[in-house]
Amino acid sequence: MHDTLSTAMRASHRLAGAFAVGALAFAAIGYADGDSFYLRLATEALIFAGLALSVDILLGYTGLLSLGQALYFGLGAYVSALVLKEMPSFWAALAAALVTGLVTGCIGGVIANRVRGVYFALITFGMAQVIAKVIYNTPSLGASDGLIGVPVIDIHLGLITVSTASPAGFFLLVLAFLLLIYAMLAYLLETPFGRMLIALRANEQRVAFLGFSTVKLRFGCYVIAAAIASVCGALYPMLRGFVAPELLFFSTSADAVIAVVIGGVGTLTGAIYGSMLIVMLKSVIGSWTEHHLIVIGILFMAVVVVLPQGIIGLARERLMRRFQPKGLS
Amino acid sequence: MSAGDYIQFVLAPQVFTGLMFGIAVILVALGLTIIFGLLDVINMAHGEFYALGAFIALVLASIGFPFWLLLAVVPLLMMPVGYAVERLLIQRVFHSKDRHITTLLLTLGLSIVMEDSLRLVFGANPYRPDMPIHGAIQFLGIYLPTYRLFLIVFGAVAIGFVAFVVYRTRLGAMVRAAAFDRHMAASLGIPVERIFGGAFAFGVALAGLAGVLLAPIYSVFPTMGHDFLLLAFTVVIVGGMGSIAGVVVAGLFLTQVQAIASLYISPVWTDPIVFGIMVIMLMVRPQGLFGRLGHA
Amino acid sequence: MQIKTVLLASAIVIMGAGASFAQSPIKIGVDTPLSGTYAGIGQQVRWGYELAVKEINAKGGILGRKIDLIFEDGQANPTVAVQKAEKLFQVDKVDFLAGTVSSSATVAVGQTAERANKLMATSVSFADSITGSKCSPNVFRVNARAGQQSAALAAWLAKEHPKAKVFYLGPDYLMGRSTVAAFQTNAKKVGATNLGEVFAPLGAKDYTQYFGQIRAAHPQVLYTSVAGNDTVRLFTQMEEFGLLKGLTVLGASGTVTSQNIGAIGKAANGFTTGVGYSTEIDTPENKAFVKAFQAANKHDPDLYGADSYGLIYAYKAAVEKAKSTDADKVRAALSGLTWATPQGDKTIRAGDHQAIQTMYVVQITDGKFKIISHVDGKDAIGPDTCTRF
Repeated sequence: MHDTLSTAMRASHRLAGAFAVGALAFAAIGYADGDSFYLRLATEALIFAGLALSVDILLGYTGLLSLGQALYFGLGAYVSALVLKEMPSFWAALAAALVTGLVTGCIGGVIANRVRGVYFALITFGMAQVIAKVIYNTPSLGASDGLIGVPVIDIHLGLITVSTASPAGFFLLVLAFLLLIYAMLAYLLETPFGRMLIALRANEQRVAFLGFSTVKLRFGCYVIAAAIASVCGALYPMLRGFVAPELLFFSTSADAVIAVVIGGVGTLTGAIYGSMLIVMLKSVIGSWTEHHLIVIGILFMAVVVVLPQGIIGLARERLMRRFQPKGLS
Repeated sequence: MSAGDYIQFVLAPQVFTGLMFGIAVILVALGLTIIFGLLDVINMAHGEFYALGAFIALVLASIGFPFWLLLAVVPLLMMPVGYAVERLLIQRVFHSKDRHITTLLLTLGLSIVMEDSLRLVFGANPYRPDMPIHGAIQFLGIYLPTYRLFLIVFGAVAIGFVAFVVYRTRLGAMVRAAAFDRHMAASLGIPVERIFGGAFAFGVALAGLAGVLLAPIYSVFPTMGHDFLLLAFTVVIVGGMGSIAGVVVAGLFLTQVQAIASLYISPVWTDPIVFGIMVIMLMVRPQGLFGRLGHA
Repeated sequence: MQIKTVLLASAIVIMGAGASFAQSPIKIGVDTPLSGTYAGIGQQVRWGYELAVKEINAKGGILGRKIDLIFEDGQANPTVAVQKAEKLFQVDKVDFLAGTVSSSATVAVGQTAERANKLMATSVSFADSITGSKCSPNVFRVNARAGQQSAALAAWLAKEHPKAKVFYLGPDYLMGRSTVAAFQTNAKKVGATNLGEVFAPLGAKDYTQYFGQIRAAHPQVLYTSVAGNDTVRLFTQMEEFGLLKGLTVLGASGTVTSQNIGAIGKAANGFTTGVGYSTEIDTPENKAFVKAFQAANKHDPDLYGADSYGLIYAYKAAVEKAKSTDADKVRAALSGLTWATPQGDKTIRAGDHQAIQTMYVVQITDGKFKIISHVDGKDAIGPDTCTRF
């Protein structure tokens, strides 16, 4: 298919590939340097990039803005932490987080999918606030202190074993994991289901007129997004050894939305680049001034007003012009 | 505790407090509903305008303005701010297809910048302006601080004034016409763009007024905008986006529900209950109790 | 020949000049909230550390080495605090870390310190669990914990209001509830009656909905564990509703501090609490400290500033005793260490790394924290519940 979407996605894939190459180079340099902090910071950024991807699926492909996606991320993180404290198995933690994401995503989907637009945004916001508060007040989940003591584990991948304490090793694992999710989502978009999701954003009424159930489509998309957020959240305690209620707070959800918007809504790669950019900005600006939020806020507003397609969106457009065979209008 | 004691000490004061709190929430939500009803814009920064009003009042009071003057001056000062925000920022994204989402995102970014700016200028510690009216009266054994009574009265008058302007004046008619059918109103010669700017300014001024009024009771600090946000949005949704009557009814109802619920259930559950009401309303009757401004 | 001599001579001179502060500085990382709601506390912490470091460096540093403070903004969010702690440990290679404020940050950063094989200390967090159920061999605390504050206050209560009728009001989260629970236990031991308790959501705007219950219970004493902005609202609303007349208000040490006392105004007068520091402590060391602090920062020190100041001196004493900054040696030196602070001598209990100190009962009079009583360190300290080491 040579439609605009396919071309756009090819451009996205090029940019994703560029990112992968850049990340591998970064890992190599970091490993050679014996660096620990920057690799782990980048790993954290990749984990949150997964949350941003989950937001982009909803916003970019069905047009639904979720202001509470951190709910699933945080729940995945807590479940993973609880599992890891009992048994140090990477696969068990991931599986538990996946199941959590699917189940809570279904529940959340039933509640939230009755409505669209701003109402949807407000309901997702409210759901995250309520659950975050419940966790904040639950002593067996560590309450406001969160849970520490998540052990360092060894991840067995057939031939190789990666330890979560190895900065470069775990970074590469998370990178591979994220790129795998990206690949799955990109593939999804080429399927009929994925095409219908995009149609939803373009013109929901028409999709209904064509006989498809918009509710089922939106629900399916929501559950997928929740599962992705949970599974990425599961990686956080493996990296940092603890979880805290702050992982479900609005600031985490807002950061993901900001990353997606700055990166480029609907580009998938934009979510990844956007997350890395936000982490870098916070780190760099944070060391000059305590008021980094002003800078990020202004940048965010500027992108919304002046560059709605986002940074990657802009890059894609440039790339796509190169792909268009000359002579075809 | 005897029934009489219970009513005197617990139930009646609770209802009174709920009433005062309800008036406060209505003032904040009123601006929000006007902005949504007319402009279709969800103003995520509404709480920060509430905070801004309180801080401006603080600054002016420190250079000698008396409280009564502040009640008039602060909203007047907030209006150009609101007008500028609408014209310079919101108008830029108003004509895009995803208007609801982009304006939400834009005002979200604005709220982040505003909150941090307030912290930059004023610091993180709380301030508290003096209570303008001291003392209390005892009515049937219930303790009623005079300032809170004043608040109820003043709030009611302000709400009445807004309703009067919207429903009984020519300006209000123009606003409602623009909300109902923008293009028709424009072709009838109504300066729709200026009406939009003005409406946003008015909504923001109401939030600022609420900030001035509530500052002596709730104190002033940079994150105070979050206090009311979820509740104000719930009131607007339950009442019907754009409906003034809706905001009043929903505001009083929800705050009473909160006040009474916190007596019988742990107060921590009042937020989930209010949120639950919002969800149910959205699922059952999304246009709220009274529908929209142009269609009231 | 001549050139070589000149070169050699200048090399020796240069080395000699450098030798006065020859060795590399000792780096102390400060991971404290410089932005956000706790920025006020972080500011006091910063002032305390800076003053101590300035004084120590002026007298030649520790073991002849200057101290360098490296600040990072932990934002009181444990996910950020842990990130910054890692930066301080791995990139800046600090020898020691301090400055965490919220107990969630202290606990999470403590784990990071353990994994990095370095030591850290807090001078602010007062959750009992930090040197109790969640203790760590690499975490030290130089400030008084909730249990000590409670014990001092309860002792005073026994003397002034024996068999008092107490009502409890606290914010509904772990710290709020456990602080109230700790005081309830202590108060019961000295014969007070528990009239009831109510927990308001954290960040509640309006406490008037609880006043009915409070009034109906007719208490003599109200104990509260609210803090920050919540205290401002609670106290001013209580005053508004005439609830403060004839009521003795007690609370946690974090309830009224220099950050919110200005906003609370005269509604704070009469508030009594157990705390580890007051500017009114009448010793020459404290008077000198307060004067130096005011001169440098134009603000009075509060307990956070004073405890932070004391922490640097504790580290200095430990490093000098251990003759090294190596984590294991300093840990051994800090355990059981006694050193001088503006509040008198403090001792770090080896069993749980908790500082033992004289606890003061202070009452707010005209915006000042006046000392009305005190309790000896050993009576206030409470049992060692740390089982990890």
